[in-house]
Formats: sequence, C-alpha cells, structure tokens
Amino acid sequence: MKRSIRQRIADELTGAALPFVAFCIALNLTVGQITALLKIPLYLDSIGTVLAAVLVGPWSAVICGSFANILASAFGNPSMMFFIPVVIVIGAFTGYLARRGWFKRWYLVAIGGVLQGVLAAIVSAPISAYLFSGVMLSGTDFLVLYFRAMGNSLLDSVFYQGLTSDPADKLITYLLVFFLVRGLPKRLLGQLRGASNIQQGQAAA
Amino acid sequence: MAARLEIQGLSVRYSAGATPALNEVSVGMAAGSCCAVLGPTGAGKTTLLHVLSGVLGRHHSQVVASGSITIADAKFSPLPKIIQFPLVGLALQDPSVQISGIRDTVYDEVQFTLDNLELPSHEIRQRIPPLLKRLGIDHLSHRNPTTLSGGETQRVALATILAAQPSVLLLDEPTTALDLTARVKLHRILKSLREKTTVVVTDTHVDFALGVAHQIVVLDQGRVIFDGTPREFLAALENFESVLPAASWRRVRTLIKTAKEQPGSPHQRLAGRLGIV
Amino acid sequence: MRLDLSSKLALVLLLWLCAFLLDWSINLILITLLILVRYLLPGYRPQSARASKSFNKFLFYGGTIVFLFAGINALFLRGGDVVLTIATLDFHEEGLMFGIRTAVRLLLLSISILLFFASTPLRDFIRFLQQKGLPPQLVLVLLLTLHFLDQLPARIHQVFVAQEARGAPVRAGIFSRSQALFSVVSPLVLSSIIESIDRGTALEVRGFLHKPVPMPAAAHEQRSRNLLTAAVILLSVAIIIYSVLRWLLV
Repeated sequence: MKRSIRQRIADELTGAALPFVAFCIALNLTVGQITALLKIPLYLDSIGTVLAAVLVGPWSAVICGSFANILASAFGNPSMMFFIPVVIVIGAFTGYLARRGWFKRWYLVAIGGVLQGVLAAIVSAPISAYLFSGVMLSGTDFLVLYFRAMGNSLLDSVFYQGLTSDPADKLITYLLVFFLVRGLPKRLLGQLRGASNIQQGQAAA
Repeated sequence: MAARLEIQGLSVRYSAGATPALNEVSVGMAAGSCCAVLGPTGAGKTTLLHVLSGVLGRHHSQVVASGSITIADAKFSPLPKIIQFPLVGLALQDPSVQISGIRDTVYDEVQFTLDNLELPSHEIRQRIPPLLKRLGIDHLSHRNPTTLSGGETQRVALATILAAQPSVLLLDEPTTALDLTARVKLHRILKSLREKTTVVVTDTHVDFALGVAHQIVVLDQGRVIFDGTPREFLAALENFESVLPAASWRRVRTLIKTAKEQPGSPHQRLAGRLGIV
Repeated sequence: MRLDLSSKLALVLLLWLCAFLLDWSINLILITLLILVRYLLPGYRPQSARASKSFNKFLFYGGTIVFLFAGINALFLRGGDVVLTIATLDFHEEGLMFGIRTAVRLLLLSISILLFFASTPLRDFIRFLQQKGLPPQLVLVLLLTLHFLDQLPARIHQVFVAQEARGAPVRAGIFSRSQALFSVVSPLVLSSIIESIDRGTALEVRGFLHKPVPMPAAAHEQRSRNLLTAAVILLSVAIIIYSVLRWLLV
C-alpha cells in the first residue's frame, strides 16, 4: 500500500528522532560558531542535515534542511529562504545514499560527498543566477564576477563558483559525519532508526 | 483509580544472546500501594519501569522477552508494545528532560500533557490549579519551567505526569539530584498519593524508600533477591550489604542512631513504625 | 492598524513578485517604504531590540555590499557608454545598470523577509503554521529547535573550553585545528543523542502523538482570511497581469 508523504514523515519522526532532528537543525545554524572558534575556513552548514539523513532518514533530513533555512532567514540571512530546494536535494540524496549503505565505508562516503557537492552546485546555480544574479552578499560574489569578466555566462560563472567550494565542503561534512557516527555507542544508535545505515553487516533500513 | 500490578516470570534481554536485563521476575503490587525497587546500578530497575510503561516494547524491536504483566485488567504477554499512558505514568530520572521546553510557563507545561489527552478546556482548568497547589508549586505557575531549581523542576515534572491522573505512577530514581528539603517534600507528595495511585519507585536512598514504601523489592543482576515489607527488609538488612550502595547504608545507620538518641524525632517515629528501635 | 500573519505573508509574496516583475525604480521606492513602514505600522514594529538590531545591521552591511557590487559590475562588465571615470577606472553603463537592478531586487527580497521575521515572534509564526495545518510533529520539531538554539551556544563554549583544557589543539595550525573540530563536535552529538532519547521518551510518556496536540491560540490571531489579505492577493494578480501585458506589447 502506498503511503502519503505525511505518513512517511510521521513514521520517521517518532521517539528520539523528533528531538534529534530539532538538534540537527540547531546544529546547522550554530556550527558556524564552532568553525569561527577554531578559525577553520569551512561552512559545514549542512552537517545537521547529513546527520539527520544518516541516523534518521531522508524525510527528516529534508525537514531539517528546510527548517534550518527558514530559521536562518528569520535570524538575518534572508536569502537562505530561496535555497530551500538545494537543502531538499542534499537531504534526499544523502538519505538515499545512506539507505543504499554508502555510509558503511569511508571511500564510498568520500565519493558520495563529492557527488553531493557537484549536485548542490548544479541545483543552486540557477537559483543564484536567476534570482540573485549571482550576488549572495559574501566573498564568493567576487569569484562569480571574476568568472564573468573571463567571458563566461552568468549561469556558468555561478556554477563554476559553486564547484570551487561545494564539493570540498560536502566531502569534509560527509567524512566528519561518517567518523562521528562510527564512534557512537551501538546501544544508543539502536534507538535511532538509521542505525542500520552505518553498521556493517546489517541490512539498510 | 489505583490499579493492581502483577508481573509473572518476566525475563528481558535487549537482544538475542545478550545477558538478561531482567531474569524470571515475579512481583505483585496491590492497588494503591507503594513499592520501592532497590538494587545496585545495572540491576534492572530502570528496565523494569520502561517495561511497565511500554517504552521498552515500543522502542527496542530486538528485545527478547518472556513472561507476562497485568496492569489493572489488561494482560500483556510478554510485555506492552505501546506506551501505556495515561494508565501508567513514568517520571524519568532526569526531571529536566521531562520538561518539554516548548511551553513558556509551568501552567502551560502541565497543560501540554492534558492537551495531548484532548481534555476539554473546562476540565483542564479544573485539574491544574489544585494539582499545582497540592505539589506546592502554585506560586511557580507563571514561571518559565526551564529556569527552576532542581527540586522545583522535579515537582513540575511530577505534575506533568500526575495531571493525567495515572492509575500507576513509576518514578525512576526521583531523589538523585534532590537536597534534604526537596526529598522531604517529595516524601509528603508520595504519601498523599496512597490509595489513589499505585506507585513504583526505584531509589538508591534506602532511608527514603523505607519511609514511603509498603513493599520493598531488591533486584540484583536482573533477579529479585528480596520481596517483602520494610520491616522484613530491615530484619534481613545484612544480606543486602553487598548489593546496595555504601552511602545508603550510612543513611540507614544514621536513621537508627538518631532514632535511638532523639526521642520524639521524625526519625524515631519512622524507626518505630519500621520496628527498628 | 493591526496585521494578522496571513496578510503579512501575502505581502511578502507580493513584494517578491514586485522584485521580479517591476522596474528597479519602483522597487527602490518600495524599499524606502518598507524601511519606513516599521515606524508607521504597529504590526511591523520589531518585536525585540535584538530583531531591530539585526534588521538595521542587515540594512547597513547588506546595503553597502550590494551597491559596492553595482559599482564593481560597472567596472568589469564593459558594455554601453562610460558613465563615469575616476582616475584610470571607467564605469560602464551596462554593468552599472545590471548591478543596480540586481542590488535593488536583492534588497527588496531580503527586506521583505527580514521585516516579516523582525516583527513576528517566532513562536507566533509557529502557532500560525500549526493553525494552517502543519502536523504536530513538525510544530514540536520547530519549538524544540528554538529550545536547542537557546542552549547550544553555551554548550559549544563549554565543550570548547573543556577540550582546550584537555590539551586539544584548538589554537594550533590549521590541520591540527581541523582535527580539534572532531573533538568539539563529537561530544555535542553524543550528548544530543542521549538527550534526544530521554526527551523522546518523555514526550511519549506524556501522551504526545497519541492524538493531535492543540496549542493555545494566540489571542490576536484571526482565523479567517481578512479583507487585507484578499486585497494583497488581488494586487499580486494585477501585477502579474500588468507584467504579462507589458511583455506582450513591448
């Protein structure tokens, strides 16, 4: 019997998953504080989404990313609202990879991270180009301008800019999540439905 | 209305091949009584409460269990697979997590439970104020529930469960983070529940347990090694020295010593009731 | 004049339409009106000093960057006439106009969203979403997120200090600091899972999701779509028709 999206979300968001997804959203929004404290030039702003995708499921990851972007807009970064399609793709794709068992081996995680980065660049390019003409009010705007001055179209320039940062950022995010969840006690993980996504020798959920 | 509890031959393993968390546990508790479950860390006390509340059956799909549980007229074989709320109310060890964090006042926090039960608003209004008063937290009604002291949080957490008027109340280590004053208040609250609610309380403070319980059960490595009245427990006290925390023994000895030295003190009244002086 | 959240949201959507469909000069007027509106309409007053500060900060930094961007575009995108020369730098018309159009659009989009959130307490917004049918699980996720957001900064600081005290290389070279990242994030995730398990259990043993959870309704909320919302929607439709006609006729 086919289940509705609402039912699928309700199936995922039970028990510990519900507060955990809330934590993942908060982590997406506050991870910048950690990278700033450590002075590391990384965004990692989808780390919560990837954690939710791996430990709970794709629908939770989609919700995590979407809510994080809505709240980021509310907290002073309004353009994040328009990039909800990108975080939906990140959540769904990571959840799919996790279910296919890609989070059981580090090299699959690394490949997945790079693929995810390219995918994120592809999805965000048209939004960035057509809605904002490549202006995101950050340092990367100058990179877009550089690519344009080199004679590339706006869409191409935004895409190339995305390729310079997204795959590396997502690769690091994926690997960080992989090593994080591997270090967690099995009995705790057992209470989150995505535990089988990461444990060797177990069928994925 | 208080409910009878009957556990028969209950064995629980978290997964096939794992050491039993509960091993052939058989205990009966009369409706409206208070039973204290004692034992060292890892004895199976929390597991027992999670079994009775339905938490274990719902969240641990790999659990292997046998035996049966009867709560009021409902029989579960081997254990309940859904949360037994509001028939059974469970107060967790850390009261701060029992506070949802999504309501702004103590009153609203307690109301959250009743909203979940979809009670009509007039009944909610009738239930909450007297409950808060009975628990001595009516003055906190408009305070933010996440900014209270340990003892206050404990009583608010208890209110969130008692608001649903459960037939069975399960309290997991309620005195762990409480000072003496807060323990005395909790003691009074539990006494006030007698006959109305069946209470099962796990605790490492033996003196507290002796003061509130009609029945003492001692668990060790998942097995029941004692089931009897507080008097019988004290008579066989030396048998449990190795399984209960040293701090608890110090407290029981202080209780006996104070009872002997201070005639008319609350300690002596308790000790007299328990037949230890 | 009081505005309910439906009207405010409809107005945000109307402003998005304007940003994409109307000329930059009209949008610039709209931006000016929006900056003034928070002083004129009680429904748009910032709900806290923090929200007001965040809005002003965005106006200052965001405004500076977008107009700087317009200038740089005029330098790099060499189409049309030279409109200004400073020393040896030529500013071109095509790049300048592209920059201005983009800057104005971006500002209007951003300000419309910021103004909405600056003047709407998040808990009211979440209640509004619930009234519009957002499932109780998602409402709770949002409310718990606010709870975690209150706690996380202090917890991050605690973990950071603890790891530093244990000798984690939080101030060494970039490679060592990257390794320290793991030792900061890991305890946060571990403690959050433990807390989530407890919180999830606590919610269930209080009957959450046995049945739908009604929330106390905000006193000033209007359930039905009011006249203002209808007017904003009509205006949006008019703008779309105007844009289509303009596109067909030009």
